Amino acid sequence: MINNPIIFYTASFLIMVFTLITLMNKNVIYSLLASIMVFFSGAIFFYMLGSEYNAIIQAAVYGLAVPVLIGLSIMFTQKNEDSTKIEKLSFLTLIFGMIFAFIFVDTIIFSISKLPKVFNFVELSQINPYDVISSFAAGIFINYVWAFELLSLLLTIVIAGLTLFRKKGA
Amino acid sequence: MEITIYHYLSIGLFMFLAGLIGTILVKNVIKVLISIEIMLLGVNINFVTFATFCDGIKFDGYIFTLFYTGIGAVELAIALYLFYLMFQKKKSDNIEKYGDL
Repeated sequence: MINNPIIFYTASFLIMVFTLITLMNKNVIYSLLASIMVFFSGAIFFYMLGSEYNAIIQAAVYGLAVPVLIGLSIMFTQKNEDSTKIEKLSFLTLIFGMIFAFIFVDTIIFSISKLPKVFNFVELSQINPYDVISSFAAGIFINYVWAFELLSLLLTIVIAGLTLFRKKGA
Repeated sequence: MEITIYHYLSIGLFMFLAGLIGTILVKNVIKVLISIEIMLLGVNINFVTFATFCDGIKFDGYIFTLFYTGIGAVELAIALYLFYLMFQKKKSDNIEKYGDL
């Protein structure tokens, strides 16, 4: 586990800014590019928390594979220019959103101030990576083996189903 | 300065809420799907955070994150294919025209 405030706050800044760009940008391509940065920043958080395996999976699946999929969808569906309309939030929605955000942030700060200062968290300043790998192996192949098999079955069904749909459509 | 569990949970909460607001307010179908993935990322950050700080033996949150990543990718693939099929008829990516899905 990496306990470095500089890396944490840099990654937090990146993930917040690029999330807002993803949601508020009018161009879908720019939103997709910003979302790639969001997913990579998520991988940085996983790595900081000591889960290197999840970080690699996040970077490979959401940082590389999913943007390719979404980019192909954008290429196939952005033919007419009328589909890229400019979305604008109304002034009333913006006001209500700001009020809601203020109440929410105030509630969060009030809740955190009322929490007890000391929890009985496990002391994990140094996570042994061999323990993480062994827990992964035990989780996938012993504790949650049926969930793992169901997930692989689901992936197989999706691949076969999409292929059959494609053939049927052709 | 030490990074505590609240820092990571705040990031996860922000990601989830940003994805939720984007899912509700944005009209573009692809942006809605990206917002759903951002919501999933927030949930995964919370899972990993709790597994790291509160579970020092089994790390179940890591396994759940792995499953959620796979399911999220599958869901996105199916949703994009359905969107592609419906786009052939609707000729628009505005989500309000997909009410009869």
